[in-house]
Amino acid sequence: MLAAAFEVARREFAVRVALRVPPGGRLALLGPSGAGKTTTVEAIAGLVRLSRGEIRLGERQLSSARSPASDLPAGRRGVGLLRQNPGLFPHLTVAQNIGYARGSDAARVRGVAEQLGLGALLEARPRGLSGGEGQRVSLARALQVKVDVLCLDEPFNSLDAPLGRELLDLVRRELEDTGTTAILVTHRLEEAQAFAQRLAVLHRGEILQLGDPRDVVLRPASRRVAELVGYRGWLSSGPLTLALHPDRVHPVGAGERGEISARVVRVLPQGSRMEWELEAEGRWRGRFFCTSDQSATIGELMWFAAPAAPLFRTADEPSGAPP
Amino acid sequence: MTNTPASIKLGGTGVRASTGAALVGALIVWVALLGPLVTLLAHVTPASVWKALGQPGALQPLVTSVTASLVALAVILLLGTPLAYLMARGRLPLPRVWEAGVILPLLTPPLVIGLLLIFMVGPATPIGNALSHLNLTASDTFFALVVAEIYEAVPFYVLGAMAAFAAVDPALEQAGALLGDSPWRTWRRVTIPLAAPGLANALAVTWARAMGAFGAVLIIAYHPFGLPMQIWVTLQESGLASALPFALVLLVVALPVPIAAYIWSARARRRI
Repeated sequence: MLAAAFEVARREFAVRVALRVPPGGRLALLGPSGAGKTTTVEAIAGLVRLSRGEIRLGERQLSSARSPASDLPAGRRGVGLLRQNPGLFPHLTVAQNIGYARGSDAARVRGVAEQLGLGALLEARPRGLSGGEGQRVSLARALQVKVDVLCLDEPFNSLDAPLGRELLDLVRRELEDTGTTAILVTHRLEEAQAFAQRLAVLHRGEILQLGDPRDVVLRPASRRVAELVGYRGWLSSGPLTLALHPDRVHPVGAGERGEISARVVRVLPQGSRMEWELEAEGRWRGRFFCTSDQSATIGELMWFAAPAAPLFRTADEPSGAPP
Repeated sequence: MTNTPASIKLGGTGVRASTGAALVGALIVWVALLGPLVTLLAHVTPASVWKALGQPGALQPLVTSVTASLVALAVILLLGTPLAYLMARGRLPLPRVWEAGVILPLLTPPLVIGLLLIFMVGPATPIGNALSHLNLTASDTFFALVVAEIYEAVPFYVLGAMAAFAAVDPALEQAGALLGDSPWRTWRRVTIPLAAPGLANALAVTWARAMGAFGAVLIIAYHPFGLPMQIWVTLQESGLASALPFALVLLVVALPVPIAAYIWSARARRRI
């Protein structure tokens, strides 16, 4: 069990994190840029000192603010870290990079390289590699080291989406096979949902909500969490704010009466579907979005249903005006 | 669209003009800097070199200079490398004070360094007294020559090495640590190989400086004669023509190392 409850001082705000990940479990840290996600995994990997608290892995104490001199150094705590920047050693070949860690042998290096489609590049230097190849080398290098916890700090974000998904899927399978605990840092909800069994939403150094990814999306604990998991519509009625997710609002059929009446303001294509921008009229006021398979006529007044949409007390939410 | 070809043409002309200007500039620099060297070659004949070096004990200053410079270089390398690394990574308290300490010998005229060294490590000083217990005297000895060379040359190495270490991405050192390396092992396997081209350049400049050290040497290490001192004394006693062969020897011995280091580091940088 990875158990972390710590604080790391930063210039703008302190990162205060309390989380537990069971052996073989996969946790995603979701949050905007600068929320403290990277600081969290760097603290777990041993690259950042704690101001308060401690990090334990099973019976072992990895870091403690009380006795920093006895912190286990990075690389000796059974925690790996895969970053967005592949961090390949430019003076070494691909094979030497993959086999950099102690104990890795040529056969294993070749095996991992073949598995990741790097067999033909073993003698190449990192400067000649594309972004995707560099990331795969970095991944191969990380997989050479036996770790109890692998932290993934948006490792494939600079790659095109299909390749990033493919590599993340490969990592997930590898982690499942080896029973390795993992923490994924991401700001993409879909990536977090596809990878992790638990989702922690982080904002300005605080975990706002931690739970099953679907639960977090369906029942965000606050308006800020709702914003971070994709809610884009905010309708107000007196002291209440209704949060609407574009995928969870749908028009009701002719003759039926929904909960929200709204007029179509704009229709934009989004992938294979259309996204309608709508202006609510009646009891609820404000703008929201709805994705649909059909187009709509600008100015058309329609009824919409939003089953189980979360409702917040406006006064409780200090996160500013609805977008 | 109609502007595009004109822009390209203008851009091309601009490139040609700047290349031409660069060539002319380079030529001026080469003539100005190599002029004295060419003059030296024009005034020295193989016979005069042979005659000067054929005299008994004529090669001793060369041996003294090379030996003292090698010792000075070893000391600078040993102490200056970790210092430069710690300074480059900002791991020393009061970094500006350290920087000032390194730069100061560079800003101080070598003659003044020599004078100050007399007052600091001369035989009548507490440090001089302590050195005497180790059978060392920092005045007119080989040890004094090494000390003077170190003072004149050390800033060139530390500043050059600092720049070389600062150019190594700390994230790569972290990657080494995350893969299980101790700090020392990461330093050996990642930091040093990546900083090596810059370190080689810094070392080459330091070697040239140590070989040519004169101002401080004149004050605290007149004896034993190193090559620069031999040139100075010959110039004083026998005139310009007699000193020139020794000047040529100093250049021939001091320059190949920096040139080789420059070529090696340029190639190494291309590989990285």
